[in-house]
Parts: sequence; structure tokens; C-alpha cells
Amino acid sequence: MTERLAYLWPELSLFVATCVVMVLGLSPSRETRRLCAWVSAIGLLVAAGLAANAPIDSEALLPHLMPFAKLLIALVGLVLLMLLAGTVDRDYEAEIASGRAVFNALRSNRAEFYSFFLFSLTGLMLTASAESLIWLFLALELTSLPTYVMVTISTRGTQSQEAGVKYFFLGALGAAFFLYGFALIYGGTGATHFADIAGIIATEGMNPILTLGMILGLIGVSFKIAAVPMHFYTPDVYQGAAASVSAMLAFVPKTAGFLAIIVLCALMGWRYGPGGESLPEAVRMLLWISAALTMTVGNTLALRQRSVKRLLAYSSIAHSGYMLVGVVAGPGSDPARFTTNGIAAVLFYLLCYGFMNVGAFAVLAALRRPDGTEADDIDDIRGLCHTQPLLGWSMVLCALSLLGMPPLLGFIGKFGLFTSAISAGEIVLVVILGLNSAVAAAYYLRLVVTPYLERPPERDAMGVQRVAIPSRPIVAVVSACSVVVLVLAAQFLVTRSAIAGRVLEARPPASADARP
Amino acid sequence: MLLTLASDAPAGAAPWWVMLIPALAMLGVVLCTLFAIMGVKSKLPAYATVGCLGLACALAFAMLLGYEDASGVVKAWQWFDISWGEGHGQTFSAIFGFYIDRLTILWMLFVTSLGTLIGLYASEYMSHDQGPGYCRFFMAFNLFVFSMSCLVMGANMLMLYLGWEGVGLCSYLLIGYFYKKPSAVAAGKKAFIVNRIGDLGLALGVYLTFVHFGTIEYAELFAGDKLQGYLSDVAHGHFEHIPMTAQMIPLLLTVGAIGKSAQLPLYVWLPDAMEGPTPVSALIHAATMVTAGVYLIARAYPLFQVSQFALPAVAWIGALTAFLAATIGMAQFDIKRIMAYSTVSQLGYMFAGLGVMTSIGAAAHVFTHAFFKALLFLCCGAVMHGFAGQLDLRKLSGLAKMKGWGIVSITMLIGCLNLVGFPVITSGYWSKDIILAEAFVRPSTGLVGWLLLITAGLTAYYTFRVFFRVFVGPVEYHPGEELHAHDDHAHGHAHDHGHGNVPAHGHAPNDAHDEAHGHFHPHAPGWAINTVLLILAILTFVAIPLVALSHGGWVGEMVHGSTAHFEAAHAEGGSHGSVWLAGLDPHKVMYYISGVVGVLGIVVAWALHYRGRREAAHAPAADAFKQAIGAVQRWAEHKWYVDELYDFLFRNPLWVLSQVFRYVDMLLVDGLVNTAGWLPSALGGRLRRGQHGLLQGYAGSMAGGLALFVVVVLLLVSKSA
Amino acid sequence: MTLAGTDPSTYLPIFLMLLAAVTFAVGTVVATTVIGPRRDGKNKGSTYESGMTPVATARKRFNVRFYLIAVVFLVFDIEVVFLYPWASTFANLEPGSEQALTWLARILFFLFTTVVAYLYGFRKGVFRFD
Repeated sequence: MTERLAYLWPELSLFVATCVVMVLGLSPSRETRRLCAWVSAIGLLVAAGLAANAPIDSEALLPHLMPFAKLLIALVGLVLLMLLAGTVDRDYEAEIASGRAVFNALRSNRAEFYSFFLFSLTGLMLTASAESLIWLFLALELTSLPTYVMVTISTRGTQSQEAGVKYFFLGALGAAFFLYGFALIYGGTGATHFADIAGIIATEGMNPILTLGMILGLIGVSFKIAAVPMHFYTPDVYQGAAASVSAMLAFVPKTAGFLAIIVLCALMGWRYGPGGESLPEAVRMLLWISAALTMTVGNTLALRQRSVKRLLAYSSIAHSGYMLVGVVAGPGSDPARFTTNGIAAVLFYLLCYGFMNVGAFAVLAALRRPDGTEADDIDDIRGLCHTQPLLGWSMVLCALSLLGMPPLLGFIGKFGLFTSAISAGEIVLVVILGLNSAVAAAYYLRLVVTPYLERPPERDAMGVQRVAIPSRPIVAVVSACSVVVLVLAAQFLVTRSAIAGRVLEARPPASADARP
Repeated sequence: MLLTLASDAPAGAAPWWVMLIPALAMLGVVLCTLFAIMGVKSKLPAYATVGCLGLACALAFAMLLGYEDASGVVKAWQWFDISWGEGHGQTFSAIFGFYIDRLTILWMLFVTSLGTLIGLYASEYMSHDQGPGYCRFFMAFNLFVFSMSCLVMGANMLMLYLGWEGVGLCSYLLIGYFYKKPSAVAAGKKAFIVNRIGDLGLALGVYLTFVHFGTIEYAELFAGDKLQGYLSDVAHGHFEHIPMTAQMIPLLLTVGAIGKSAQLPLYVWLPDAMEGPTPVSALIHAATMVTAGVYLIARAYPLFQVSQFALPAVAWIGALTAFLAATIGMAQFDIKRIMAYSTVSQLGYMFAGLGVMTSIGAAAHVFTHAFFKALLFLCCGAVMHGFAGQLDLRKLSGLAKMKGWGIVSITMLIGCLNLVGFPVITSGYWSKDIILAEAFVRPSTGLVGWLLLITAGLTAYYTFRVFFRVFVGPVEYHPGEELHAHDDHAHGHAHDHGHGNVPAHGHAPNDAHDEAHGHFHPHAPGWAINTVLLILAILTFVAIPLVALSHGGWVGEMVHGSTAHFEAAHAEGGSHGSVWLAGLDPHKVMYYISGVVGVLGIVVAWALHYRGRREAAHAPAADAFKQAIGAVQRWAEHKWYVDELYDFLFRNPLWVLSQVFRYVDMLLVDGLVNTAGWLPSALGGRLRRGQHGLLQGYAGSMAGGLALFVVVVLLLVSKSA
Repeated sequence: MTLAGTDPSTYLPIFLMLLAAVTFAVGTVVATTVIGPRRDGKNKGSTYESGMTPVATARKRFNVRFYLIAVVFLVFDIEVVFLYPWASTFANLEPGSEQALTWLARILFFLFTTVVAYLYGFRKGVFRFD
């Protein structure tokens, strides 16, 4: 057991940072409180460094997943941290600084906000290193629970409280589903360790209890990725929360969910069945339907939105659908080749999505209306390229990348999903994916046209302004740049994700009889 | 030191430091961007540019000295590696790297050295615009050099394409530099759009190369068995063994080349491109970018050899362009525009040179032309800068006699002599002669040779028309319309009062006119401009021994060691040994003939535009001649109405067609699309009712959805099982 | 090994215990209903028989500190819940062995987290009653 610790150093470094931040953020000294963001950043950097050098777990089903996923988490986490900085307590700290208020630890939210963010990332990394059902459940919950609180405290308005409560209750419901599913998986196999479960499935095949458990587990985890039918909360919560937190919601739980889904599928293997054809039929069907519905529902609902946050929330649903296509396609015959490895495509897409989505939300987070609320309506970004060129162009680039416009990053991501699904023979799903991409163009192009081609509102109408948090425009610009620049490094990233997406064949336990 | 570095590199690999050349240009871009952000208002961007490009130039020289191998590749990183199967041609890979051979070095030498010199010139020329515009100018300037080095040094056709589009973009940005001037914006658009046609051809050529040869890396392409096989077929005269696809490739590449190098029928953008600042005209639209087409053909020369039609087509396009542009140039009044037409015409020479299989002559002419044409443009720029944008040769006269204009006049004279090809003492003479002689030598291209010869005479006439009108004769000037820009630094220079001299020549001063320009002082160029002009003038002489010795001299050696010298045996065999012109060595004959033609042109220009001219606006002899030829002159002045013809042939029909399509689009397609768009949208509207925001409802839907999913999946599975 | 393969008889003690628990719970309730005497009255119906008379509504808001105290109590409660079985097992391990050290390290890590929780509560001002 203790040797397992070698894999967990990134988590540990994050945990330590969390503990420090939790205490520092409540310090009566203003300077000490300001250290929170820096300590978090250092924790993430250390975690990134440790993750980059993490050992390969040759026993796991996806031996190379851990270093890739954890490095990805730490890096996107850093960008998210920059975006999240200044979300809470800004006005309060200003009051304290001007002497109008005294520091009251009970009113301050800063410590909780940063430490919960780090807790969530810790949970996310633990998801990547999970080796048993219980571990997976705890990790998933550790990822989600802090986000409920973060949503609630992200703004001072009642909207975010409503969003937080909804998110919490529905999240609990989702957790109940997949916990029940996990229990059934245990019931069907008598094992909680992934290696054991995979071995048993490889030798004895699926049984009804196990199948039901998998279905419940996968649907329950769908809550994290906001896939149909567990997607209902998404728009309300994304809109209610501050844009910075919404950006986090679109990446952190989604990554956790996909890691969990990939692991659950890997338990059965994409070579299930005597002919080595695909996942067990019920599971494949489930994922297939879920992917098709998720894409379609997300895209069609996004079409009529005027709220950019809601629009991005629906787009987040749609992107989950795209990525589920990669899960259905599976690692393919030659996992080393990116174009046929659906898992690699999903992992790479998570990276792409992380950057372009954070960029889009960062633009919103960096703008405020004259009344102090965050920019949200599509009218708020009208003519942004003319009034705030950097932010406007960031929005344009990120929207184009989300649309999958070549040669931006999103295109390369989608390219992998397409090719892997084609080589897996999922032609109908590919057609649905293509149609959905076309439908999606309608609303993404609005995010391009509105800032770029349309005129900004009249000067006296007092449009949106940039918030006084310098890190947010930086995040927007950095994300937009990476959408372009990472294309140059695409070969490297694609190779890395192809390695990370290598799935081992489950080995039957030595004692068990050979499968008939 | 550099020599040892080079020898450390393995054979077939270029030393790593050649990558520094584009990197330095990129550094210039970054620096200028930073300066723009920091709001620098000094000449810092110019000096940063000159510094970066100067270093790049030094590296180009180091490349020349230290690089002995015939060719080599240096790879920065793998750019693309996509495979969709195991077979041949099912892997598309391209590196981000550089292919260095002597052709590359030759091109990089003049690109970087002219970039540095013109950057220095521009530091003064653009000084009235210091601030954001200055930074923008130098950023685009550096970006241009970066793109040009990608184009020239790229290791594959994709890099070439990247650079090709990059220089096109910079050209667009810089033509439209004065973006508040509608004509500049229109010229920028015209250049960009006309170039798109060419770019399409190039892109198709690159695709076809990949499809046919399975690679676009130069090293693999030229050494590949397939191409070598074709070349040996060609050497034996078996053109019929070569598939049509392979023969199509050079034709498509030619389309790309004529777009970028402003040849018939796509030359129309280049004269308009003179709306850009003059340093840009000199660097991009005279010396470097427009030779990209020549470079492309020279680089892909082996590909061109395998086609029966490609090289003759190139020769004809070149000769016709040279002739047509020269005739237009004769009737223009804007001196910068005349130089633009002369560029088009000289590019025609280069194309003709490539077409008649003297890649050496073409390269030599590119090389010499780069220096003397840059010089000519910079002289025009100095005039324009000094006389508030005045470029009309009818409004300027006798500059050589004015104080401070000596260097400009002398260097202008040197540039003009080069352009004319004045015998023996000019480099232009030697490089042009190679092309002319070869055109007469080749069977079936005699007519091309005659066209080029006539063009040489016309060139001499229009070149010296400018010189005799503007630089000698009575002193007189009328400033242009850009007075405002010169108010602040018109002082401190030595000034002549042009109008003060007018009565001495017997003209009554126009009072109103005099008042309007009463405060105008032309300012003679400062040290930066003069230095650059002098250096360039010296360089044109330095180039003489480089191109003059037997068959192209040093430039010939450079071309010999590159892909441009793949001349198939049948082409080489028939040439210098056996073909004689009237019993004499054609090169020697052409030395005399072209020299005589050139001098004749100068004499005609002298007779028409200098002799008996008393004022700037009118030269009696020329006016009388103009009267005599009447309509022809008018037509030439209106550029043979080519722009109008294009409007009539392409623009108007396209406009009508677009209107038709617009209505079809509005009524039919929009209708369809709207229906298609309405469907998901309506569906969304329906689905949206599910998003009512009630917690219990969501929970219920989730649970219901879960149950439904389980049931559906189990049903489907049991059905299929 | 699957659950289905387990011998049900091994669960017998659990069933017995469940049975005993249910029997006791139901038994006492039934017994008091049957045996106990019953005399209703005004005092009998009040909220606290023989206590203070209640004032104001029951839906009064409590000071948030009460909840905080409850949460902090939970932290220590959980700590004890874990510490007790740990302590009783740790004694059985061979002193100084690698296993023992691992166990020690684990509980120390756990204690570290509770200390952090305590520190957090302290900083948050949970222990101040002014």
C-alpha cells in the first residue's frame, strides 16, 4: 500500500498547499491574506513538476494516464487560478483597506475559496490515480463537494446561492446514482479493486447485476460531465455562478467525469466479446445514445440563448457529447496512433477544451457592466473588438476554436474524435457529430460576429468596461494565444495523449480458469 | 569560428545557426510589438530592426563563407506528421526546417542586406510618423523579412507556402499603411485579391506535388526516384512517358509565380502597390518579394523540366509582360509608377530567362536588379520625401543643380544606367545580356529574343525620360500635397527657393501659385538616406564582377550548386558549342547589339526630353512626338485600358453574377437554410421548456431520464441478443 | 469470487442481531402502551412537563455559532471514532517494524488534517464567545 504513495506526490503537494491557504486566508494581516493566490500557485507548480516526473503505473489499466492527466490538471489549474483570483472578497478587502470595515474572519470567504479550489483539483488528481471503486467515489466527491460551496460564495447575489443549492442537491442525486452503480458492480463481482474487477470481467464476462451497475455508474458519472440525462443543472448553475467559477465548473468536474468514465469502460475493455469487437453491447449502446443526445440537446438549446454564460453552458454539454464519441470509439487497434485512438482523442480534447473554454469565460469575467454586475448578455460583447481589442479578439479566437475551425486547436481536437470514430466503424455517430458541428457554427459564429463585425453601442450608453483585476484579461489573452500557439506543438501533444490513452488489455487472474 | 561550426555539422545537414536568420527577424517583430505596447515614440523600432536584420545579414554572409555542402537541411521541429494508412503517399509529413543550398544563400544575401539598408533608410523616411505607426511599420517590415526567409529557406513547399502567404500579408499591410487614404486601402485590397488567384494556383500545385510525388520536402522530392526517372526520360526526349499530372504541376506553380511576380495577366496589382511608403516599394515591390515567383520556378526547376509546355509558357509570359509593361511605362508621368512598370518589365526578363533555360541569367538578373531597382526606388523616395509627395515628372526639374541633391542625382544616374544596361560599366548590362543571348540561342524562342531586345530599347527611353526631366534641365519645382507632414522639420536644412529661380528662365511667376507654396522649402535627404543610396550605388558596381565573368560568374557558380541547375542534357547539349548567330558567338554579338540599343534609347530620350526644354511641364520635342502618335500615346498612358478590360471582362460579369446569386441566395438558399436553421432552433425552443429552473423538476427529469435510459438500453440489448 | 457464491449462513449473527434490535424497539413501545397508566391533563399537554413555560415561537433563529460548534464537535468526534480502533489495533503490531511505522505515519497524517481543521476553526473565530 505504501508504495502507492509514490504516485500521489502531486496530490500531497496540493493538499499541503490547501492546508496552508486555509489558515493563511484567515490571517488578520492583509498582506498575509494576499499570499493565498501565490501559495496556491506554488502548490500547483510543484504539483505540475511532480506530475511531469510521476512514475508510470504499469499495473493500472491506463498505465500512462496519470502523468498526462495530472500535468494537464495542474497546468489548466494554474490558468484557472489566475482567473479565479479576485472573485471573492474583493469589495470587502477594499473596505478594509480604506478603513471602512474591520476584518472579520466569519465574513471573509477567501480562505475557503482558494482552499476549496485546491481541494477540488486534489480530488481531480485522485480520480486520475484511482485504483478502486471506493477511491474513485471518494475522489469524485472530493472534486465536486468544494465546487458546490464555490458556486454559492462566488457572488454576493442570490442567484449564485440558488445555483449552489441546485447544484448541491442534484449533485447529491447524481452521486447517489453512481454510488448505487458502484455498489452493484461490487455486488456483481465481489471486488472493489479495478485490477480484480477487470480480471473477473475478462474471465467470466458480464452478468446482469454488473451490467446494471455499470449503466447506473456511467449515467451517474454523466452528471459530472453534464451529459444527457444528467445535464439539467448546467445552464442554471453556470449562469448563477461567477464566470470565473463557471469556467472551472466546465473543466474540473468534466475532466473528473471523463477520467471516471474511461476507467469504468476500461474495466470491461473495448475488446469485450469473443470477436474483440467493442464494449459490451449494453454499455456501448448507452454511451452511443448518450453521446448523440448530449450533442444534439446541447447544440439545439444553445441556439436561442442570449446569455453568453448559458450559451457556453449548453456548448459545454455539447462538447461532452463530442468527447463521448471518443469514448465509444475506444483505443482502437493501434493505440500508439492518435488518429485511431479515441481515448487519446478524448484526453487531447480535454486539454483543448480546457484552454478555449477558459478563454471564453475569462473574457466574460474580465468585463463588467456599469452597474457592477458581470457581462453576460450577448449585447454586452457587441463590438468588443473595437472597444476592447484584446478581449474581443480573444473571444473571437476561442469561439472559432470551440467551433473547430482549422487551423485552431479545437480543430485538431475534433479531428481526432472524427478519425477515431471512423476507424472504429461508428459512421452514424460521426454523421451526427458532423451535423452537430454544423449546427454549433450558428451560435459560435454569433460569438465571432457580435464582437467583431457589429458596432459597439454608443459611447454615452456606457457599455461594458474592463474589471480592475489584471489577471483576467491576461488569462483571456493567454488562452486565446494558446489556442493558436499550441497548434504548433500539436504533434508533441498528440503524441503525448496517444501514449496516455494506451489501454492495457485486462489480464485474467492467474488462478482463474480460462474463458470458454 | 563559423567555419568550424559548419564543418562540425554532418554531411547533408545544414548548421543549426541558419535558423537564427528567421529567428532574428521574428525577434524584430516581437521587439517592435513591445515598443508599440510601451508607446515608444523615438526611432528605437527602426534601430532594433536594423540591428536584428544586420545580424541576420551577417549570418547570411557567414552562411556563404562557412557552408560548403551542396545542400543541407536543418530541422527545427516536426511540423506535421499525419498518416492515414501504411502505403505510399498516405503519410503527410512536413518539417519546420530549412533547406540550404546555394540558391538559398544567394537569395538570402540580398534579402537580408537590402532589408538592413532599407530599414536604415526607412528610419529617416518614416520619421514624420514616429509613434504607433512607426512601430507598426517596422513590425510589418520585420515580419516581411521573416516570411521571406521562410519562403526562401523553407525545407519544403509548405514552408514556402507559409512564407508566400506571409509576404503577401505583409505586402497588404504595408501597401495599406496609410490606411486613411482610400486609394492606399484600395491598392492593398487589389494586391491581396489578385494575389489570391496566384496563390490558388500555387496551393493546387503543392497539393498535386504531394499527390503525385508523395512528398513535398525538397530533399526527398528532388532526389526521389520518380522525378529522377522523369528527368532521364526527358533527357532522352520521351515526354510521352511522363504522366499528365506531373506535367500539370509546373503549370500550376507558374500561376502562383505570375501572381506574386506580377506577370501577365496578373501584373495589375504592382503599379497600384506604389501607394505604400517608398521603402516598402523598394524592398517588397521591387527587390525581394516580387522575385519570389522567380525563386519558386528556379527552386522547382527540375519539376518544370518534365513538362513540355511549362518553360515555353514561362518564356512567353515573361517576354510579353516585359514588352507591355515597358510600353505603359513610357507614357506615365508618376516617376514611382514608371519604376513600378519597369519592375514588372524586368521581372518579365527574369521569367523569360527562366523560360529559355538560363536559370543563371535569371538569377543574375534578380541579383543585380535587386540592388539597382532598390536604389532607383529609394532615389524616387528621397525626391518624394523632399518635395512633399511630388512625383509628377512634369512638376519637377533640374534637381541635380539644387544644393544637397548631388548624391541623390548621381546615384539616380547610376541606377538608371543599370536599368538601361549601359554597356560594360553596369551590372544590369551583364545580367540582361545573358538572358538576351540565350533567348536568341534557343531554337523556337527567337521571337522572345526580339521582343526582349525591343523592350531593352524602350526601357532605355523611359528610364532616361525620367532622368532628363527631373534631374537635369532648368530648376523648377512644385511641391506635392503632403505639406502638413513636413512643417516641423523643414528647417535646419539648406534650402533653395525654386520659384526664385523661375524668372531667370524667362517664365512669369504665377502669383497665386507662388503664394500657396510660398513657405515651402524642399529638404534635401539626411545622412541615413544618403548613406544608403551610396552603399547601394557601390553595390551595383560590386555586382559587376559577380555576374560578368563567363556565363554568370559567381552567381553562375551559386546557381550551379543548386536545384535550379538541373538542366537536362538535351537542353545543355545544343547550346553553347554549336549554335552560332551569324557565325559569331551569340553572347559576344549580343554584347554589342544590346549595348547599341540601350544607348540609342538614351539618345532618343535626350532628344525628346532634354534638348530645348525650358520648363518642367513641357518638352517641345516630346510634345510634338506625342501629337504625332496620337491615340497610341493615349492608350499607353491609360495602361492599354487593361484595368478597364478586367473590369469589363471579370469584375462586371462577376458583379452581375453575384447579384443573381444574391437573389437566389436570399430567396432559395436562405429559405432552405432558414428552415434548416429554424428546425433545431424550434426544437431548442421546445426543449427549453424543460429548463424551467425548478429543482424538483430537474431531479425528477434526471431520475426519469435515468430510468428511461436503463429501460431503453436493456430493451435494445435484449432485442439484439 | 462473487457475492452469489457466499454461504448465506455466515450472515446468521447479523440477522440475529437485527432481530434482537427490532424486537427490543418494538417490544418496549408495545409494552408501555399496554402496561402504562394514562392520565391526561393541561400540564401533561405542555411542552415541558414540570419545566419552564415555553415563550415565543419554536422557529427562532439560532446564532450561527451553535452550528459552528456542532461542526467543530464533529471534527473531534470523527477523530475519536478513528483514533479508538486505531489505538486498539496498533498495540498488536510489532514495535519498530515497517508496518507499525506506516500505521503511525498514517494516523499522524490524519491528526495533521484535524489540526488544520482546528486551526481553521480557531482562525475563523469559532472559539470566541463575545
